[in-house]
Amino acid sequence: MRTFAEWLYGTTPSVAVHSTLWLIRLLQATHLVTAGVAVASGVMLALRAMGWQRADEPFETVWKRFAPWLAASVAVMIVTGIAQTIGDPVREFTATSYWLKLALLLGGVLGTWSLARVARRAPGAAFSPAAKLVAIGVIVCWLALAPLGRMIGYDLAIWGSLSLRE
Amino acid sequence: MSVHSILESVQGSALAEWMRDTNPAMQVVESTHVLAAVLVLGTVLIADLRLLGITDSQRAFTRIGRETLPLTWAAFAVAVVTGSLMFTTSAQTYFGNTAFQLKALALLAAGLNMVLFQVVTARGIATWDSGRPPRAARIAGIVSLLLWAAVVLLGRWIGFTKGYDFAIPPDVELILPG
Repeated sequence: MRTFAEWLYGTTPSVAVHSTLWLIRLLQATHLVTAGVAVASGVMLALRAMGWQRADEPFETVWKRFAPWLAASVAVMIVTGIAQTIGDPVREFTATSYWLKLALLLGGVLGTWSLARVARRAPGAAFSPAAKLVAIGVIVCWLALAPLGRMIGYDLAIWGSLSLRE
Repeated sequence: MSVHSILESVQGSALAEWMRDTNPAMQVVESTHVLAAVLVLGTVLIADLRLLGITDSQRAFTRIGRETLPLTWAAFAVAVVTGSLMFTTSAQTYFGNTAFQLKALALLAAGLNMVLFQVVTARGIATWDSGRPPRAARIAGIVSLLLWAAVVLLGRWIGFTKGYDFAIPPDVELILPG
């Protein structure tokens, strides 16, 4: 993986990103602001599934309100995240936080989608304890994204021997 | 007591020393600060978009406020605590950092905007709570949205500039614009 990352670092797209300081800053700033939209939207949907937010509204209504914002912000995060990864592949690929962040992003997306599927099967019905447990997991996934993104820079200090940079 | 000596004593405190010397205290605190800042921005956005009439137009604004404000305040409290802890580690450097000063100004302006909204604009909220907010409320919404986004972006900017106030490690390649 490190060999691949080092090769990628020397490619034209990577050089174009990591040699342009303003682009790196723009990508990081955009990634951070859209993370705010994604985290809030994802957490609100999961909290509704748990009955802690907007319990007076059917899940479908809350889904229509937050899902488009969640989808759009995740899409922007993925694009800016890929660009940052191409720009500094060694830093990203050798960080445990990076892979954990990707796994939790997948968990958050799939978990949120599964909550919507449960709601579609039985419109208006309360979520089962199992679905509420999924919702708790979804909240953990969304909340962990932002700190894990920051931890990529501190991978060794945070993870010690568990860091892939070891 | 001058500002300089206050900053010096903050930076020399046992807490600041612990933050600097305990691995990974600074990293964990900074990551938590990022989470709190992102949550503040995200939850504020829910209320601001309602003020702008973009989302939740069928839902009373006071209701949205009741639902999201506890989350916003909780995240803000965490951001203040973690931000203060980070500040202690290099108080003098942060205080003189332009991005930090601008962030503090943006925070102050966001607070003033909120007070102004509560004291003046929200007085007649009963007339528009479940409908289209008046122009003053919409302006408060867009100002709030821009200021909180600025707070987060300037916070990130501190990280871009702060390093230049310290010695740059010899193995770090510094690429400057232009």
